[in-house]
Amino acid sequence: MRSSRKTVYFLNAYGVLVIVFLYLPLVSVFFASISKTRYLTFPIRRYATHWYLRAVQSPTVSDLVETSLKIAIIVTVISMLVGFFGALAYARYHWKYRNAFQKIIILPIFFPQAVLGLALLIWFNSIGLIPSWKTAVVAHLVWIAPISTLIIAIRAYSFDPALEEAARDLGASTWTIMREITVPLLIPGVISAGLFSFLLSWGNFPLSLFTTGADSTLPEWLYAKMVSGYSPLVPSVGFISIGSSIILLVIAYIAKKLVASVAK
Amino acid sequence: MPTTPILYLKDVVKRFDDFTALDNINLEIFEGEFLTIVGPSGSGKTTLIRLMVGMDEPTEGTIWLRNERIDQTPANKRPTCMVFQSLALFPHRSVGQNIEFPLKIKGVSPKVRSKRALELLELLHLPKSFYNKRISQCSGGEQQRIALARALAFDPEIIFFDEPLSALDYRLRKTLEKELVDLHERTGKTFVYITHSLEEAMVMSDRIAIMNSGKFEQIDVAEVIYSKPVSRFVASFMGEVNMFDFKCDSKGDIKIDGVEIRSSVLTKDKQKKYSKKAKGTLMVRPEFVRFNKAKETNDFQIRGYLRAEYELGSRIQYEVDTLDDSRVIIEKLREDRFKGKLGATVVIGWDIKHTHFIPND
Amino acid sequence: MERLDNKLGTLTSLPMVLLLAVSFLAPLVVVAVFSIMPPKVFSIMNVPDFSAYADFFQQGYYKSLLWSVAMAFISTVILFLICWPLAFGMAKVFGKFTLVLTIAVAMTLIVSENIRLFGWVLTLMKGGLIDGYLRTWWGLRLEGVLYNGPIIVFGLIYVYFPFMLFPLAQGIAMIPEDARQAAEDLGASPFRILWEIDLPLASPGIVVGSLLSFVLAAGALAESKLLGGQAIIVFTDEVETAFTYGQNWPLGSALAMILILIIGILAFFSISKIDLDSMMGRRR
Repeated sequence: MRSSRKTVYFLNAYGVLVIVFLYLPLVSVFFASISKTRYLTFPIRRYATHWYLRAVQSPTVSDLVETSLKIAIIVTVISMLVGFFGALAYARYHWKYRNAFQKIIILPIFFPQAVLGLALLIWFNSIGLIPSWKTAVVAHLVWIAPISTLIIAIRAYSFDPALEEAARDLGASTWTIMREITVPLLIPGVISAGLFSFLLSWGNFPLSLFTTGADSTLPEWLYAKMVSGYSPLVPSVGFISIGSSIILLVIAYIAKKLVASVAK
Repeated sequence: MPTTPILYLKDVVKRFDDFTALDNINLEIFEGEFLTIVGPSGSGKTTLIRLMVGMDEPTEGTIWLRNERIDQTPANKRPTCMVFQSLALFPHRSVGQNIEFPLKIKGVSPKVRSKRALELLELLHLPKSFYNKRISQCSGGEQQRIALARALAFDPEIIFFDEPLSALDYRLRKTLEKELVDLHERTGKTFVYITHSLEEAMVMSDRIAIMNSGKFEQIDVAEVIYSKPVSRFVASFMGEVNMFDFKCDSKGDIKIDGVEIRSSVLTKDKQKKYSKKAKGTLMVRPEFVRFNKAKETNDFQIRGYLRAEYELGSRIQYEVDTLDDSRVIIEKLREDRFKGKLGATVVIGWDIKHTHFIPND
Repeated sequence: MERLDNKLGTLTSLPMVLLLAVSFLAPLVVVAVFSIMPPKVFSIMNVPDFSAYADFFQQGYYKSLLWSVAMAFISTVILFLICWPLAFGMAKVFGKFTLVLTIAVAMTLIVSENIRLFGWVLTLMKGGLIDGYLRTWWGLRLEGVLYNGPIIVFGLIYVYFPFMLFPLAQGIAMIPEDARQAAEDLGASPFRILWEIDLPLASPGIVVGSLLSFVLAAGALAESKLLGGQAIIVFTDEVETAFTYGQNWPLGSALAMILILIIGILAFFSISKIDLDSMMGRRR
């Protein structure tokens, strides 16, 4: 059904407005990060990059980055592995408890993360685990591994299940089918899932809040500083956190283009 | 026709939960034949083919390949192969790699593999340049041939086809049907083909098996199935047909409401097995029903009026409504066109030699 | 292949099932057990009592719960209204712009929600981005926007925008275009089409989007702390306080259990009605 031109214009304008709405606070953070004064007021009179310099040189910040990075990398690797198999159980095989499995996977995503974090904190305490960045990995996984599974499952749904049957019919064993058909076809999904897992873990705050113990991630530190004891480093460190995500995405995008051009 | 059974199904039953998809199937497939299994959707033909290929196991019964029981053998251990409805060509592999796939699994060296793939491309009338093409660059008909080449590369004892032509347009389908017949003759392999299209079955097969609700209704050559169907289902599935309920009176004479029957036919027919009080269906195909000229008579005769006339291309179809509200379909070649007006009263009839009786059980 | 499929399905689901058993199910069980312990104990080896649940009513915690649920409900309704036109555009009208929007919206998800909320503080505060420029250019002031109830709802709408938008767009994409055309052809007005065709056929997306938004908003914490300045104490805040400052794990657990039960029941009924296979694009 063709929409009238007025409707199309209106919807497009609305879309642009939404993007502005979504990014406006980030613009504020960006301007705040390059303001010279310690106590920020708009409009900004004098610009400077010294808060970035301070942030980069700060040992606290590099500790935070290290912790966040450690967590994100481990979460990424595990999410890709668990998600790959989980997606097969979710989308490919027609097994007895498939329906239940599909619904159980959705549950953690539907769960308020702060509450989940607190529940994990009690659980770790009651089995005698002292919360640290390692327990935060587990906390992130509860939420991120299901998302990774869904991303890979979408990819698994998009190819014809007859492909695997055909390979089996032509003599391939289960292992060969995995290697020759399933893995090559799912790899793009696994890579996107890995990328998402990394970014979601890197930026996560509510799950880390109660589960990192004495360690602290970048978003956690930012939160602490926002709620009490404001530091002029907050905007610049915040933007470093965002900037690194964007850089990673750009790299992933270029890599994808390169692979595509080589394949041709 | 070849007579050695290569595949043999004995009392095969397949149930899904409480739904019985296959109900006591017995089937012999002969070496080198082209057997087509035809049935409406939901008749169980896809379930049956999946059992024969090894993608499912029967709930009851056994399947034998030559003298070896194979119903518990998984698909990758059976010397049979299927061409899928969706073709199931591997999108991430080139045409050549697709054809070579079964050889790679068997551990054949790359050199021998590519030689065989090129031979198969030639056999399927595809240029050698296709070897390095991507699957997505090939047309529907080309993909069809590649799927066949891949199946042949496996060198199976039997090739199964799960309606692979159904997605193609009419002309291409006709071409490929004939190519398939040709390929069957040249390779000498056993082909088992399933389809819901009767036309496809008639063109290609040595034998046709008609399936309905999980059972075989009739398995025979096309000619017999067309002219001597064993049931009303088969009769109506094999194209347009006129059917009348008949019953025999106490003398064993056939009676049909609204149909005049010549008495000599009755006596002639007494030799047949219809006993007293038998009931059944009388069947006659539309091309054997005639419009009677004045004073012309037939073994079976009905009065009615011409209701409608349809163009079918090479033939013309007429509908005649009888006085007791049943409808008879008649088909004439264009050159034998009937020149009656719509609504005119007509007398139509046919002879005993074109009549087939299907007794009720 | 049912047997093989069963085997492979069970095997491939195992890592995920184990992960969730250890880190999702087990914590919930521990919380449930703690919730029936006497006050201020730190071990589950005590005689059960239900005093923590009594506190929920007697100490007025139910007020926070009502606030949280009310704000979650309001933000879900508003989210649905503002997301529907955009989701419709993404699914049916925009061409390339859909991709741009999808990427733009998805990108915000990877930015920590506290940074984004902090950005709003910088934007809306006295002397912030909007107030500052309004003052210098037009001499206008924008004050008193922050630190109240409505701004918390605003924050919830902002943070959970993608969680409504994407399921809705997915749901609307499932509406077959010819059903809409047929309805129009049969004389239905745009409103009738919306009511008779669009809303029923997009209902899986609507259910998932609304459920996600509501549940996440009901358990949200950062919005009230950063934007609301604790003008309203949300329920999750009470849970956190009970665990941390209060050092009363049984109370915290009981409060958490109440939230978990509400969410669990809602999620269970909604999810069980949805065919996840068809929503995610199954081929067979």
